[in-house]
Amino acid sequence: MIDRDPSPVPSVVEEDPGRDLVVELADVGRVHQEGAQAVHALKEVSLEIVAGELIAVMGPSGSGKSTLLNIVGGLDRATSGRVVVEGEPLDLLSPPRLAALRRRRVGYVFQDLNLIPSLTAVENVMLPRELDGVRTGKARKEALAVLGEIGVADLGDRFPDELSGGQRQRVAIARALVGERRLILADEPTGALDTATGDDILRLLRARADAGAAVLLVTHEPRYAGWADRVVFLRDGQIVDSATAGLVTAR
Amino acid sequence: MNTEYAYSVFMSIRHGLLALLSQGSRHGYQLRAEFEASTGATWPLNIGQVYTTLARMERDGLVEPGEQDEQGRIVYSITPDGATEVGRWFATPITQTERPRDELAIKLAMAVTTQDVDVAEVVQAQRTATMRTLQELTRSKRGLDSPLDVAQTLILDSKIFQAEAELRWLDHCEAVLSRRSLQHPQEEP
Repeated sequence: MIDRDPSPVPSVVEEDPGRDLVVELADVGRVHQEGAQAVHALKEVSLEIVAGELIAVMGPSGSGKSTLLNIVGGLDRATSGRVVVEGEPLDLLSPPRLAALRRRRVGYVFQDLNLIPSLTAVENVMLPRELDGVRTGKARKEALAVLGEIGVADLGDRFPDELSGGQRQRVAIARALVGERRLILADEPTGALDTATGDDILRLLRARADAGAAVLLVTHEPRYAGWADRVVFLRDGQIVDSATAGLVTAR
Repeated sequence: MNTEYAYSVFMSIRHGLLALLSQGSRHGYQLRAEFEASTGATWPLNIGQVYTTLARMERDGLVEPGEQDEQGRIVYSITPDGATEVGRWFATPITQTERPRDELAIKLAMAVTTQDVDVAEVVQAQRTATMRTLQELTRSKRGLDSPLDVAQTLILDSKIFQAEAELRWLDHCEAVLSRRSLQHPQEEP
């Protein structure tokens, strides 16, 4: 019925067949059983994210945004379709291997900051690396490097309750970025931050994408979705449309 | 009132009247009353504007006058060209550069009261177009050095907030409409 203008420039996916695919979802479904009733949280969702791309997912409450993010991150399992992250089909991975993939390759940023209050900022950032068996000295060095990269190197020795909301979120992002993670999953990372601080957070995620990570952002705020290369609209568990920025970022 | 704005208001009235005529033949006073009812009397029309607009649309082949009713008023009908024009209007998102925000509001109000228009499609097409505008604005902002280009950054921010407001309003329209269709499943507009 409606003639939509095709996007003026083809997306990265169409343009470069030798692209560096980080996430591939093919016909992914997620059904929850509620008593006798089957609830379709996601229906036949297909989505590809290449290295260097920032994708935003928008949609009303209950449209499946967080389910989509959790499935990509291996926190939830698809009930149909195929989920491949960094070349690994998630449904074929044993729980320990899935946990290892999550720890090493995937960084999460949530709305609830969940920094550990009894650890300093730098110790919070070191934690995932230490859990991964990296020596304390090396983990500390890596953590300080990431904190520096996002402009809060001087806050490393502070405890979470000595930081502002924006600073805490930066530390949480540093923790999501530390190590060699090429997939960043962010669920409403701007939470209750004011718009200028929220823009700073998006600037960080954007820089990480421009440096080669794949970033999947769930947000209900249009202004933050505006930072994405592609905005995917979800309705009732299905992708109904997507908006691609007119120009492809030079990488 | 600048020319561009005046033009956009003129076009909104023209398309609004045409959308009403797509529902059946009407005379000028009926058109005025229904236009104001559809848009919640936000855009009052005088009857002179209605007849001027009808005369121009007749000249352009979009409407045709019929017989006079018992009170001597001429009833206008939409032509096939006019129907095509209404379809085109609903199907084409308004771009930010043309920026007649009023036209978008009028279009949505008309879409709700016009049969055979899928309002959800109109909303989604506009949402995608406005999001693309927002992405472009954000891209321009990224290219600025914010301590140096404060003025430019703030101007872009103003446009970003406008686009954002439009997107929020579209979300709101969709939520209200879907609630209404749940409450009145049989009631066709």
